[in-house]
Amino acid sequence: MILSDKSIAEIREKMVRYPRRKSAILPALTVAYNQLGHLDEEIYKEISQVIDVPTGEIAEAATFYTMFPKAPTGRYLIQVCHNISCALLGADGLVEYLESKLGIKKGETTPDKIFTLITVECLGSCASAPMMQIGDRYYEFLTKEKVDAILDDLRKKAEDGKADSV
Amino acid sequence: MSDNGNKITLTIDGRQVTVDRGTTVLEAARSIGIDIPTFCWHPKLKSVGACRMCYVEIEKFRTLAVSCATECLPDMVVHTRSEKVLQGRKAVLEFILLNHPLDCPTCDKGGECDLQDHTFAHGIDDSRFDFPKYRFKRDPKSTFDDYRIGPEIIRNQNRCILCYKCVRANKEIFGEHDLGVFQRGNLAEIDAAPGEKVDSLYSGNLVEICPVGALTNTDFRYKVRVWKTKQVKSICQYCADGCNLTLWARRNRIFRATSRRNDDIDEGWICDRGRYGYQVANAEDRLTTPLVKKGEHHVEVTWDEAIKTIAARFREIKDKKGGVCIGGLAYPGLDSASLYTVSKFFRTILNTNSIDFRYDYKMLPEKAGDVYSEMTAQPFSITGIEKSDLILVLASHLINEHPITHLRVRKAVTKLGSKLYTVNPFATKSGDISTDEIIYRLGTLEALINGVCMALTEQSNEIKTKYADKLKSLIAPSSVEAASKISGVEKERIHNLARAILDAKNVTVIVGEILTGSATRENMASAISNMLLISGIPAKGQVGFLSKYANSMGAQRLGVMPHLPDATVERLKELWDNYPEQPGLAADRILLAGRKEEIDSIFVMGCDPLLLYPDGEFVRESLETLDFLVVADMFESKTTAMADVVLPLAGPAEMSGSFVNIEGRIQTFDKAINPPGQALPGYEIMNRLAAEMKNPLYESDRQLHDEITMLLDMNHKAPAIMDVQEAKYIAEEPGDEYNIALVVTDELHHFGHLTEKTKSLSAFCAESFLEISPALAEKYHAQNGTLLRVESEVGKVILPVRISEHIDNNVAMIYKNFAATPVNVLQMRKRRVDYVRLSRVEEK
Repeated sequence: MILSDKSIAEIREKMVRYPRRKSAILPALTVAYNQLGHLDEEIYKEISQVIDVPTGEIAEAATFYTMFPKAPTGRYLIQVCHNISCALLGADGLVEYLESKLGIKKGETTPDKIFTLITVECLGSCASAPMMQIGDRYYEFLTKEKVDAILDDLRKKAEDGKADSV
Repeated sequence: MSDNGNKITLTIDGRQVTVDRGTTVLEAARSIGIDIPTFCWHPKLKSVGACRMCYVEIEKFRTLAVSCATECLPDMVVHTRSEKVLQGRKAVLEFILLNHPLDCPTCDKGGECDLQDHTFAHGIDDSRFDFPKYRFKRDPKSTFDDYRIGPEIIRNQNRCILCYKCVRANKEIFGEHDLGVFQRGNLAEIDAAPGEKVDSLYSGNLVEICPVGALTNTDFRYKVRVWKTKQVKSICQYCADGCNLTLWARRNRIFRATSRRNDDIDEGWICDRGRYGYQVANAEDRLTTPLVKKGEHHVEVTWDEAIKTIAARFREIKDKKGGVCIGGLAYPGLDSASLYTVSKFFRTILNTNSIDFRYDYKMLPEKAGDVYSEMTAQPFSITGIEKSDLILVLASHLINEHPITHLRVRKAVTKLGSKLYTVNPFATKSGDISTDEIIYRLGTLEALINGVCMALTEQSNEIKTKYADKLKSLIAPSSVEAASKISGVEKERIHNLARAILDAKNVTVIVGEILTGSATRENMASAISNMLLISGIPAKGQVGFLSKYANSMGAQRLGVMPHLPDATVERLKELWDNYPEQPGLAADRILLAGRKEEIDSIFVMGCDPLLLYPDGEFVRESLETLDFLVVADMFESKTTAMADVVLPLAGPAEMSGSFVNIEGRIQTFDKAINPPGQALPGYEIMNRLAAEMKNPLYESDRQLHDEITMLLDMNHKAPAIMDVQEAKYIAEEPGDEYNIALVVTDELHHFGHLTEKTKSLSAFCAESFLEISPALAEKYHAQNGTLLRVESEVGKVILPVRISEHIDNNVAMIYKNFAATPVNVLQMRKRRVDYVRLSRVEEK
C-alpha cells in the first residue's frame, strides 16, 4: 500500500460520519493528498479498497477537482487564478512574470523541485484580484514586487529545510 | 378541480392534459404527442437535466425550464414551441456544437443522430464561436479521436456531447462501474475506469443509447449507411428471455442487431450475446451444401441425393426393426415450425416417440406429469417480478442464464425496494444486491430447501399443524439443524429466509439451470414444491423454472419430448393420422440405446451433443456405434464430422417463424436474409424427407402455421401442486482424490455451441478457462493464465486459470462453449455432482 496506516485509519474515521460510503470519497482523497502531495490511479484503487466504492467513481471525483494534482509537484504548488476578475487585473502578465522568473512554463516544475506553476479556475477571492494560492495560503492584490518577495521567502524556507507542509 | 388528489391538470401548447402527480412536463407533453427534443433524457433513466435541450417556457416561471426535470404542477401553462423556447434551444445547440467536429460524412451515426436531427430542426447555420475547436487526440497521428474502451466499443470524445446517458445506464440499470466521466469542463471525457475495460454483458447498450457518434461498435463501424438498410423484426435466438430485436440488413447481409423495446420483456435493453450473436448468420464457414460420407470422406451432393440416401436408410431400418430404432435430438433454439415437424416426422412417419430437445442436460425424467414438469408449467411473467416484495433466486447464475430477467430483478430491488435472497452454490452478480446471499455446498439444494420447510413449520403454528407431520415422514433431512449441517448454511440464515417468506406479501421464485440441468432435479423440484405449498406462495406470487434456450418452451409444448401430457397426446391423435403407442426414449436413453445397439440411427437437428451433452465419451461411443447418423446444422462440428449425412441448416434470421419465451409468450420473427448456399430451414428438411418416405408433413405454410398455433395455444399452465411431495436428500460425497466440485456452464458472453462463430463475442472471450477461487489458485501456485490440468475419473482437459473472488473455495467453474476444448469429457451422466482434481501441467 502507498497509503500509510495513519492515512487509512484517518479515512476510516471519516467514513463513519457519512450515511453513504460514496460521500467519503472527497475526505478520503484529501487525506491521501495530504500524505502524498498528489493523486494517481494506484491511489484511487487503494482508496476504493478502503471505502468500498468502485475505483471508477473515485477517479471521477478526483479528476473533476483540479485542486488535487495528478502528478508529483515541487515543494510549493503555485496556483494562479486566471478567471475573469484576476484576468482583468493582470493575471496573464503575472503568469508570464512567474514563468520568466522561475524559468519554467505553466504546468512545469523547477529543476530544484521547489516550485510548480499552474493556473486554476476561480478561487473565490475576486475582490482581492489578482491572486494566487500556495499551499493553504492565499496571496492577494499581487504585484511583481510582492511575487518577488513571496518567492524569495519560500525558496529560503525550502533551502533551510523549514518548508511548510503543502 | 385541477388538483385532484394524485392527478394534476395542466395546459401544454393550449391543450389540457391530466397526469399523475410526479410526472415531468416532458412526459406529460409526450403523452399527448407533443415532441420535445432531448439528448440526455431516457425513458428508463432518472432525469438529470444535463443537456438543457428540452427547454420549455412555463408561465410565471422566471426562466426557461428543463422539462425533463420539472414536475407538473396544477394549472401550469406550458409553451413548448414559443419564440423564446426556440431561441433558448438554439443557444443550447450552439454551445453543444462549440467543439463538435461536424464530421457527419464519416460518422456512423449519420442518419440516425439526435444532434444532426435537432440541428436540422432548429436551423442552425453558423456559429459565433470563430476560434479553433478543442480537439481530443489520443493518437496524434489520427484526425479522429478513436479510442477503444472495450472489446467492442470505440470512443470518439470529440463527438461526445456529455449527456452522460451511457455512464448513467451503466451504473443505474446494469450495476456496472467500468465506465465514468473524468476531468471537467471542456476537458471532460467518457472513459473506462482506471485499469478496466468496458466489457460487461450489457456493453452494447451503451453504444445504442448514445445520441451521437461518440460511442460506436467495431461490429457496425464504417460498413454501411444506416438509411440504406432495411429493418427486420426479430427475436433473439439465444436464451429464453425472448428479447425483441431489429435486424438491419442490406443486400442479403445483416449489419447489426438493436433492441426493439418491449416493456413486458426487455425494456429496451439487450445483452451482448443477443446484439452480436446475429453474426453467426454472416459467418464465412457456414455449411452450404448437403454432404454424404463416401468411404472416409464427406462428398458434396444435391439435396435430392441427400434426402434419398436418408430416406432409404431410414426405410431399411424401419422395415427391418421398426421406427423405434431411430432416435431424434433437436436443438431447442430452433423455430417452432422446425421443432414441430421433427415431432411430426418421427411420430407419423417413423412411428416412434424417441425424440428429445433436452440434449445437454443430465438424466432426464421420463414420464409426463412428474413434479418437475408440473413446476415448469406454472404461470410466470417477467413483469410479475416487479410486483413481488420478495424475490428468491434459487440455483441460478441468473445474469449468465437470463441476462435480461436479471435486469428486471435488479430493477425490482434497486428501484422498487423488493428484497432479494439468492441461494446458489457460488457467489453471483445478483448476490451483490441481495439481502442475503446464501451459498450452499454444491449438490445439497434439496437438503437446504427441506431445512427452510422445517424452519417455516417452526415459525408458523398454522403451517406446523397443517404440514409438520406430513413433512417429517416425506422429507429428509427433516430438521433445520441437519439441513444446516449438510448444506453448510448457518441455521440462523435458514430461519431468516423462512421469516422473509412468511412476511412477504408477494413472492417471485426463480429457479435456474443449476437445478434444471441437474440429474436430481425431480427431487429438488419436489423440495421446492413443498416450500411453495406450505408457505402459500401459489396464492401470493409466482414460480419460474426458467427454460433455457430461445424455444425450449416451444419445444416442450410442441411435443419434442418422448412423454407428453395426456391433453397434448389427445390433440395430436385428432390432428395426425398416426400416433405411436410405444413409449419413447429421452435424450439420455436414446444415446444409451445407441451404444447398446438397440437404436441404429440418430437424427440430430441443429445441435452438438458431442460438445454439450454432459459426458463426452459416452456420446462418442454411442454415435460411433450407430449404423447411420444424420446431422443438420449451421456449421461443421465434431458431431457433423461423425455423420453419414450432413445437412446445411438455415438460421432463424433466414426464415420467418416463432419462439416461445420463458413466460410462454409466443413471439414471431421475420426473414432478414436468404440462407447461404443451399441451406434450408429445418421444417423444409423434415418435409422433404417425409415426402420422400411417405407423404409430406404439410401441404401449405398455412396448414403448418395452423397446426403449430393450435398446439401452442392450448392451455399449458399446470395448476399448483396441492400435496406434500417426497423429497429425500441422498448424500453423494466426493472421494479423496477427486474432491473439487465441478460446474460446467456457459461463458458470460457465449451461449450454446454457436456463439463462438461470432467475431464480436470472440473478442470478449475466445477460449475456455478454469475459474477458481484465490485460495485454490494459491494452493496450486497458479496466477491468471497458468495452465492447470483438470481431471475427473473419466477425462481430462488442460485450461488456463482465471482467478475469481466470486467462486467458493471448493468449486471449479468451466466454460463449455468452445469446440477446441470439449469440457464435457470431465462429466459423468449419472453423477449429480462431478468432482475433479487439479494439478500443474509441468509437474507430470
